[in-house]
Amino acid sequence: MTEPEMTVDELLALADGTRPEPADPSGSPRVVGMDPAGIEAALIRAAGRMAARPVGSDTDLFDAGLTSAQAVELVAELEHELGSELDLGAVFADPRPSAIARAVGSPGESAGDELALVRADLRRADELPFVGPPRTDEPRCLLLTGATGFVGVHVLAELLRRSDAHVVCLARAADDAAALARIATAAKEYGVPWNTEVRRRVTAVAGDLAAPRLGLDDVRWQALAAEVDGVVSVGAEVDFVRGYRSLGGANVAGPLSLAELASVGPVPLHHVSSLGAFNQIGIEAMDEDGPLARVDRLGSGYDRSKWASDVALQRARDHGLVVTLLRPGGIGGNRSTGAHNAHDLSSAITAALTRYRTIPAFRCLNTAPVDWVARLTAAAVLDPGSWGGNYHLVGEPVTLDDLVRGLTLAGMAPTVQPWDEWRSGILERIDGVAELAFLATMLRSPSACALAQASLSVPAAGTARARELAVRHGIEPAPGFDVSAQLRTLTAMDRTGLARLPGRDSTPHVAFDETLTGAVDSRPCTIALTLSAAGMHQLLTERRLDVRGTVECDLLPGGALTVSGDLVIRPDGGVPVDAAELRHPLMEYRLAGTDGTGTDWTVVAHKTARLGRDIASQTRTATVELTSAAEAYSGTVSFAPRDYLRDGVDGLRIDPALSARERRQAKAVWFAWFGGQVGRGLLQPALRAFAELWDLRGARDDGGSRQWQRGLR
Amino acid sequence: MSAVEFEELELTADDGVRLALRHVIGGSAEGPVALLLHGHGVSSDMFATEETRNLAEVLRDNGIDTYALDWRGSCRLPYNERGPRFTYDHVAAFDIPAAVRTVRERTGGRPLYVIAHCIGALALGASLTAGLVPGLAGVVAHGVFLTPRMSATARMRLGVGAELLRRAGPIPTDFRAVGLFSRRTPLFAALTVGAGRCPDPTCRIVHNAWGAGGELFLHDNLHPATHRRLADLAGPIPTWTLPHLRRAELAHTMVRFDDRDARFAALPASAVESADRIDCPVMLLAGSENRFWYDSNALCADVLAHRASSLDVRYREIPGYGHLDAFLGRGAAIDVFGHILEFLEET
Repeated sequence: MTEPEMTVDELLALADGTRPEPADPSGSPRVVGMDPAGIEAALIRAAGRMAARPVGSDTDLFDAGLTSAQAVELVAELEHELGSELDLGAVFADPRPSAIARAVGSPGESAGDELALVRADLRRADELPFVGPPRTDEPRCLLLTGATGFVGVHVLAELLRRSDAHVVCLARAADDAAALARIATAAKEYGVPWNTEVRRRVTAVAGDLAAPRLGLDDVRWQALAAEVDGVVSVGAEVDFVRGYRSLGGANVAGPLSLAELASVGPVPLHHVSSLGAFNQIGIEAMDEDGPLARVDRLGSGYDRSKWASDVALQRARDHGLVVTLLRPGGIGGNRSTGAHNAHDLSSAITAALTRYRTIPAFRCLNTAPVDWVARLTAAAVLDPGSWGGNYHLVGEPVTLDDLVRGLTLAGMAPTVQPWDEWRSGILERIDGVAELAFLATMLRSPSACALAQASLSVPAAGTARARELAVRHGIEPAPGFDVSAQLRTLTAMDRTGLARLPGRDSTPHVAFDETLTGAVDSRPCTIALTLSAAGMHQLLTERRLDVRGTVECDLLPGGALTVSGDLVIRPDGGVPVDAAELRHPLMEYRLAGTDGTGTDWTVVAHKTARLGRDIASQTRTATVELTSAAEAYSGTVSFAPRDYLRDGVDGLRIDPALSARERRQAKAVWFAWFGGQVGRGLLQPALRAFAELWDLRGARDDGGSRQWQRGLR
Repeated sequence: MSAVEFEELELTADDGVRLALRHVIGGSAEGPVALLLHGHGVSSDMFATEETRNLAEVLRDNGIDTYALDWRGSCRLPYNERGPRFTYDHVAAFDIPAAVRTVRERTGGRPLYVIAHCIGALALGASLTAGLVPGLAGVVAHGVFLTPRMSATARMRLGVGAELLRRAGPIPTDFRAVGLFSRRTPLFAALTVGAGRCPDPTCRIVHNAWGAGGELFLHDNLHPATHRRLADLAGPIPTWTLPHLRRAELAHTMVRFDDRDARFAALPASAVESADRIDCPVMLLAGSENRFWYDSNALCADVLAHRASSLDVRYREIPGYGHLDAFLGRGAAIDVFGHILEFLEET
C-alpha cells in the first residue's frame, strides 16, 4: 500500500475539507470545527508513511515501528496544521490514531484510564500458578530478554564471561536468524564482544514480550520452559514520552509472561526493575525492602509500568516463585569502552551540560556505570544464595558539589540552575540542534519532565543488600557518576557529535606566550607562539597543548608564516630517540601553516633530554626544521630564562569565567603538572646512568648468593 | 569439546639448555600454526587451564595447529631456581629462534604465528628486531612488546628492590613451601605489601608481581579453581633477570643487556630503533585495567605509527581486563581469544 507523498496539510484538507481555526488566544487546545474522524484518518495516512508496519485506527504507533522522534515530528506537523499547541502527554498516553484524535478533540479525558489498566495488569499476577522452590544449582541454561538493548547486551556478556551457561536470547524479529543479527548489531554498537566463542554459547529466539506467551507457539514455549533453569528479564520499552497503555505490553505483560514460563520449572526469575518505581516527588526513603511510591503520584507512563511489573512480581513471590528484583537508577556509560545509550535522558543531560555548561540542581544522583550494573546483575543471577532478594543497583550517591568539582577540573565549570530555568534555557538553545532533537522531545513532554524532575528530587537510594552482594563477590563498590570514570563516555559522545568537550576553539583553561629566537641556516628566525589547553583533561590524557603563532625568517619567501598545531610534552612517552646515547624526547612542536605565496610549510621543533649539566638549556633550546614540498631548512631556537618568567609565569592566563579562587587553584595545578612532566623528562637519562652504575655490582656473581641462601635455609 | 592434551617434545636451546616444546593433540595438520610463549615465572600451562575455556582449546577447535614453548623462564623447568643464570638476551637469542626453527621443521611451509605474553613478548620483540625469526605470518604481543613502561612506584621497587634482593636468591611463590616460621617468611611478607585484599598469601605475592607492585591480574576475573591453583601455575622468580628488566624499563625500549658477548651481537641496542626489521603484521593486545605494564602497548602502537609507519601494527584494548587474567581469566575466551582468532583470520 503506497501513498503519494503528501503533507499533513493536504491530508487534513482531503479528510474533511475544512481548514482549522486559528489558535484560540486563551491557549485552549480545543479545536473548533475539527472532526476527530478526520484527524484520525489523516494521522493514519501520515503515520503510514513513516512506520515500518501498516497502521490502522487502533494500532499503537510505536508498535508499528515509529520512533519517539518521528512521533513528535508527526505531532509537530499536526500542531502546525491545527495552529494550536497540543499536550504531548495526552497525545502519547494512548498512541493509537483513534485515541489521539479523541485526545485532540477533547483533551484531558484519557489520563484517568491509566490506573484502571494498572489494576487490570496486576490482576494477571493472581492467575499465576502456585509452585514449589526451584533447584539451587548454578544455572546451565538461561533465558535472557532485552539482549538487543544497552543494558541487556552488557548483561549477556557478563553472564557468558562469569559462567559456563548457555544463554537463550529472546528478541523481536521475523525469525531466529534475524533475532541473532539484531543481537550482533547491538553487541557491535555497544562495544561488547561478538565472536565465534560468543556465538557458540548464544541461541537467539524470535519472540515478542508484549504478545501472549511471548509470541511463541506451544511447542517452542514448552521446549523453552523445559530447557532453561533461570530467566533473566531485562527487556523493556524505555521511553519517557509514551503512556502506560503503550508501554504496558512489553514492560508489564512481558515480565508476567516470563513469570508464567518460570513457573513451569519452576526456575528463578530475575527481573531488572527500576528505581523509577520510587520516582515520586517528596518520597522520604527508597529502601530495598521498603514500600514503593504511590502509583497515582508517578508522573510518567514509564515509571508506572516499572512500578506495575515490580508489584506484580512481588505478588508472584506469594505464589512460590523465586523472584529477584534488581533496580538500577540512572545508568552511566561503560567505564572501559565509553559505550553509552545515546538516546537516554541522562546522556542527553550530559550532552547539554558539555555544550552549554549548565546543570539542573539535584539532591543526589542515583546512578551507576553500566558495566557495574551488568556485573552485579550477573552475580545475582549466578549465585543461588542471592536469589529472591531486592537489590538497588546504584553506586555511591553523587552530590552536586562532587559533580561541579570534577567538571571544573575537566575545564567545564558548570552553572547550577533550578529545573524550570534550566529547562527553558536549554529548550531555547537546542532549537535546531539535530543531535539533541530527542532531548527537546523529552523536555517538551510533561511526562518525561515529571520523571526527570522527580528523579532530581529523590533522596539517596538504600543499597545495603546490593553492597553485601558486591562484597560477597569481590566487586569493587561503584562510583556513582564521576567525571574521571566517565571520561571515555564523554570522549565517545564527543566523537559522535552528541557532546562537545572543550577544544581548540573554546576559551582556554590555561594559556601563555612563548617567543623562541635563533637561526635557521644562519638566517635569523623568530617563532612567536601562544600555547593553551582547553582543560586539565587534555593535559592529563594527551600531554598536549594547542599552539598558534607566527614564524618569521627571511628564508620564507611569503613573509611571516601563520602556524597552528600541537606541543606534546614527553612525546612518545619518553621512548628514546637514541637509546645508547641516553637521548630522550622532552618536547615536540608540530606546526603547520601556509605562507603568502600559497606554499604549505611544516615546522617541527624538538627539545631533547640528555645526560649533561646543561639541564636549563635543554628546556629552553629546540632544534627546528622548516619544510615545504621544495625546500627544507634547519636550525636552533631558544628563549631566555627571564622571558619565560615574564611570559610563562607572570603572563599565565587562566579562563576568566572562573572565580578568583578557582583561577588560583588552576594556576597551582598547572605549575605542578607542567613542572612534574618536564622534571620527569629531564630525570630519565640521569636515572638510567645511575642504574648502569648499579649494574657494575656484577649481575653474574653468585658466590655470595649461595652462601646467603644456605644461611636462609 | 575435550580437554587439551599435549604431545611432549624435546627441544634444546642454541646454547645447549634443555627446554620443553609441547604440541596440542587434535589440531589441524593442514591449517596455520601457532606458537605460544608464556610470561616469566609461569609456564605453557597458562594456555591450558582445565577449569576454563583456554587458548590452546580455542585454537585447536578453530583448526589451528598449536605448539607451546616452555622457555627457560618457565616454572615447569628448574632454571628459575637453580640456574644457570640468564638474562632475556638468552631467551631472545637462543630459546625463541630454536623453537621457531623446530616448529617450522615439523610443519613445513605452513604460516606460523607467534602469540606471546608479557616477558615472552618482550623477548620476542628482541628476536624479531634482531632478524632472528624472519618470515612469521603474524605476531600477537600481549601486555608489552618493544616499549616496556611501568608505574613510577614499580620502577622504584624494581630499581631498589633488585639491589636489596640481589643476593637473596629466587623469590618464592608458593607460601606452603615457605611456611609460616621460616627465615624467608619475613621476605615473603614484605613482598606482598600493597597487594590486594585477598588473604591467600600465594595469590598476594603473584598479584603483587613478586613485590614489583601494581597488579598482575584482576582478582575478580579469575575462576575460583584457577585462584586455588595459582601456586601450580606460577613458580619462583629469579632475581638475576631484574637488572635486565630494570634497564629496559628505564630506557622504555627493549635493550640488549650484554654488550660484550659476541653471541648477542645480533640483538639490537634498542628494539624501537630497529623496529623496521619486523617483517610481519603485529597485533598488540592489552587489558584496559593493566596495572603492571599499564599502557605500554598503546604507547608501542603510537611510537611505531610515528617511527616505523610502514609496519602493519594494530592495537586492541580489552575492556575490563588486567594482565595475566587476559589468558587465565574465566571469560578470556569471550573477551580476548576472539581478537586473536580474528587476527589469525585476517592476516
